[in-house]
Amino acid sequence: MTSQRADAPRADAETASRPSPLLVDVLICGSPDRGDDGAAPAAARILGAELPNGVRLRIVGQLDIDDLLDIPTGAAVVVVDAATGLRPGRVVSLPLDRLSVSGQPVRPRSSHALAFPEVVGLAELIRGHPIRGRIVAVGAVDFALGGALSERVGAAIPALVEAVRVAIEQLRTDSRARAQG
Amino acid sequence: MPTVGPRASAPTDRSPEMHDTDTTVTSNGDLAVDIAGLTRVEGEGSLRLKVKDGVVEQARLEIFEAPRYFERLVVGRTPDEVIDIVARICGICPVAYQMTAVHAFEHGLGIEIDPAVRALRRLLYCGEWIESHALHVYLLHLPDFLGYASALELARDERVTVEAGLSLKKAGNRIVELIGGRAIHPVSVQVGGFSRSFRRSEIAVLREPLTAALEVALQTVELVAGLDTPRFERAGRLVALRHPSEYPMNEGRIVSSDGLDLASTDWRHEFSEQQVGWSNALQSRDHAGRPYLLGPMARITLSGEHLHPTAASALARTGLAGEIAVNPYRSIVARAVELVDATAEALDLIEAYEPPADPGRPWTPGPASAAWATEAPRGLIFHAYELDDRGLVAHAQIVPPTSQNQAAIEADLAAFAPSVLHLPREAATLRIEQLIRSYDPCISCATHFLDLSVEAVR
Repeated sequence: MTSQRADAPRADAETASRPSPLLVDVLICGSPDRGDDGAAPAAARILGAELPNGVRLRIVGQLDIDDLLDIPTGAAVVVVDAATGLRPGRVVSLPLDRLSVSGQPVRPRSSHALAFPEVVGLAELIRGHPIRGRIVAVGAVDFALGGALSERVGAAIPALVEAVRVAIEQLRTDSRARAQG
Repeated sequence: MPTVGPRASAPTDRSPEMHDTDTTVTSNGDLAVDIAGLTRVEGEGSLRLKVKDGVVEQARLEIFEAPRYFERLVVGRTPDEVIDIVARICGICPVAYQMTAVHAFEHGLGIEIDPAVRALRRLLYCGEWIESHALHVYLLHLPDFLGYASALELARDERVTVEAGLSLKKAGNRIVELIGGRAIHPVSVQVGGFSRSFRRSEIAVLREPLTAALEVALQTVELVAGLDTPRFERAGRLVALRHPSEYPMNEGRIVSSDGLDLASTDWRHEFSEQQVGWSNALQSRDHAGRPYLLGPMARITLSGEHLHPTAASALARTGLAGEIAVNPYRSIVARAVELVDATAEALDLIEAYEPPADPGRPWTPGPASAAWATEAPRGLIFHAYELDDRGLVAHAQIVPPTSQNQAAIEADLAAFAPSVLHLPREAATLRIEQLIRSYDPCISCATHFLDLSVEAVR
């Protein structure tokens, strides 16, 4: 699923016909049919209805290197995921480069084959520059197939949504400032 | 792709970042490796290995998958629901689970599919093989041979090499995404065919990336054939499907290196699953209690003459066919040869593709006994289902390759461990982990995350 909010029409004919530049790519990880792994998709259902201009939301399931290579140059990324290593229901927002350090206790659950820092690191190497962005994660406890969100993670969804909103706004502002030189 | 070689300091300098290594090797020939498990949905694993006075006291591979969970989950479901559910068992090889289930149901219900549907399914399976093998060869296994702790470290020094692997993986992804409907957990396969047909022009878009991928796959064989490989000869039984005219994938008879030959529906005539005390996963053995090994080594050994001519030539150039049959460390070569095979075959299928006249044949639900085996990227996978009078699943058995390989891996670890006693601690650990990674991508990715802890042997 992909959704993007276009810029509102402007009086200037040239700018009105030009698509909004993508400022922030929001990557939703996890699976709604695996208990707390559905936390990010649950947040996406709320976020998808109110995306600000220049923000795209993509449901990626398991984060793949290609997902990060698809981020347009100049745009930032917010990765939203459930994680182990956190108290269930606790929401954290970290710069991506904080996860590139070995030993970081927050471990997203959605990347089966490679560790999250490896996925990010490989994408950065191939892109040739660091990826600007944050991971917003919620501590999760139950990943059973067919299960619903656990009580604590379900109760944390509003906080997760709010943390994603804050991350989007920070990065969107930053992207705009960079675009304006 | 440039030639790559091991780091000057390989392989003993890689452990500090990868693990807090706590393997113990003493001067009197004792070795204790305790690799604790990692939380992982598809392939949680750990290793406990103890060698005392040069004698292996314990070699246990613990894998915490939950096949019974899915087997219970599909009860009461229709065959088409089962096909979607079993795809969720693994993020790396969902097609294998789908293919095995759909073939089982169609065989049990007497449904004949359009030949073009068969070709499309084989193409879809080729996509998964390419994706899975590229991932394993380049991102999980190659770093071991070159002395790197991870694919990321390897990429820092050998970016072009890793990019080549990623391009191969992407080519496989494109096949699965197009035909399966999405790259992970595809949704288009259904009993009787596919949920939709494909025009020639849709399939043709795969030609260009696969043509490029074939070149990379051929270079991959050269690359991995030149890797310095530990010497090890296992003596165990190899088992794979064998087809009269094709390299085994969707169908064939179950054969072994010691003369077994039975229908793919009859896996239970020779093998059974057993509970062991140290693992949540069932282990499969033959009825005599013997372990057996599945996967690329077995397939090439038992069906090598049916490799695509391009892959057969690549294998011949390596001169390693004989060693592939006995040395698990050479499985990386076997996988590379199968990368060539799957890519070349995919191109042939694309060239010959004609849209199926009947992409989804109608069928009538009803009672049936359904069973089938196919070849997942990491080995033979068997499914059996009982359908009740309403056509709903009353009983299911799903036997993944990982659980079948467990006992063989433990036997091989026990045979190999004494040979690393003379090595420094970290090198010994690396060799053991490298051996585990030789068998199975799910276990391999788990072991990349495992923490090692000391257990002194007294």
